[in-house]
Amino acid sequence: MPATAYERVVYKSPSEYHYMKVCLEFQEHGVGLNVAQFKQLLVSALRDLFGEVGAALPVDVLTYDEKTLSAILRICSSGLVKLWSSLTLFGAYKSKKCAFRVIQVSPFLLALSGNSREQVLD
Amino acid sequence: MATLRRLQEAPRHLLVCEKSNFGHDKSRHKHLVETHYHNYRVSFLIPECGLLSKELKSLVMDIGPYYSVKNLPLHELITHEFINTFVKKGSFSALTYNTSIDEDNTVALLPNGKLILSLDKDTYEETGLQGRPSRYSGRKSMKFVISIDLMDLSLNLDSKKYRRISWSFKEKKPLKFDFLLAWHHTGTEESTMMSYFSKYQIQEHQPKVALSTVRELQCPVLRSSGLAGEPEEACSALEFFDWLGAVFCSADLNNEPYNFISTYCCPQPSAMVAQAFLCTITGFILPEKIHVLLEQLCHYFDEPKLAPWVTLTVQGFADSPVAWREKEHGFHKGEATSVRTGPTTVHHQ
Repeated sequence: MPATAYERVVYKSPSEYHYMKVCLEFQEHGVGLNVAQFKQLLVSALRDLFGEVGAALPVDVLTYDEKTLSAILRICSSGLVKLWSSLTLFGAYKSKKCAFRVIQVSPFLLALSGNSREQVLD
Repeated sequence: MATLRRLQEAPRHLLVCEKSNFGHDKSRHKHLVETHYHNYRVSFLIPECGLLSKELKSLVMDIGPYYSVKNLPLHELITHEFINTFVKKGSFSALTYNTSIDEDNTVALLPNGKLILSLDKDTYEETGLQGRPSRYSGRKSMKFVISIDLMDLSLNLDSKKYRRISWSFKEKKPLKFDFLLAWHHTGTEESTMMSYFSKYQIQEHQPKVALSTVRELQCPVLRSSGLAGEPEEACSALEFFDWLGAVFCSADLNNEPYNFISTYCCPQPSAMVAQAFLCTITGFILPEKIHVLLEQLCHYFDEPKLAPWVTLTVQGFADSPVAWREKEHGFHKGEATSVRTGPTTVHHQ
């Protein structure tokens, strides 16, 4: 079998999606949300700021941890600013004060598989 | 209209893909590994593999320790003794721990002996040393980079340059940081690190290793013929790269297009693999160790295997002041992640 020839390609902004690792924090403890409620919350955040057009933006919740209320989201790159600003301005859920923390953002999902800022030394 | 357009803009990014074979002259796999000094996470995935071979397992478990020190003054890194004991006798790497490159002062010592300081404006001015504005600080320079060549300094410790740096670190602006350290050397002086830095609460750490087997994994079909893939024949490098991210993030790969939660699914064409072995090592990993791991993974195919490819992913530190070699690394401009599969190499900047 002949050896593979060398090829190098530089893609400029090829990713049609952006990925966000986020965490929802409530002021009071003990607030639980299942994944469907979490997704609904994202849709309401988008609706609050950008109306029905914003609410229609397809957002995928790729992973969700109910214990820590953290998730990895996928959004088309053209919707990143809308989603990020909606999360930033989202302040309460069912009259309970809360805030989204955006931990990592990347056009590549692989970058979100680890976070050096979370490194803990024993 | 301009506001609406800006709402739809996302930050620009680059994806550099290289396809080659490990014996090719132009293949830069060795160079890429050697010049990426600060590695936080190394993972590999082997499809059609349930158990790791003895050689790979012992390599993974014996990646080697790294160290942490607290409140190490910078002047300790420019002493004659330090340079002779560590910098000249192997590859010594250091990176400030728990400092954010976009907010705090960050320092790195590269294996080639270059000490890189990424400082905010006030600290930079207080050191009284010569540097340059950071590429990533925008029109108003808020961050400055000072680069000190320790090998060059050690040639003449009586020079005006050395005296000035020494005065700056000892008297003018004594800076102290918590550091992560690692040292690759061929000698047997294992206890040198622990005794040399004993005044600074030095602790040895072993990298964390996570091993798992994933059952019934949907994998994209790859062909070594092209990076762009072929419709209904093979996936592109970008699709594969995204899929790899989904696997390591433990995302569901099998969603229906009408699913409310997520519509992500494995790129097509794909094939079901009965099992796949995943390994992740996190810590402060030396490029020399990654090189050995890469070589061992290449040897995986010395005997016939069901696996059509393996992947090796390396993730750097988000807060390292350098990306590859001495190229400046900006937090808001992206990370350095490198993926290698036999025979395709994909890396991103």
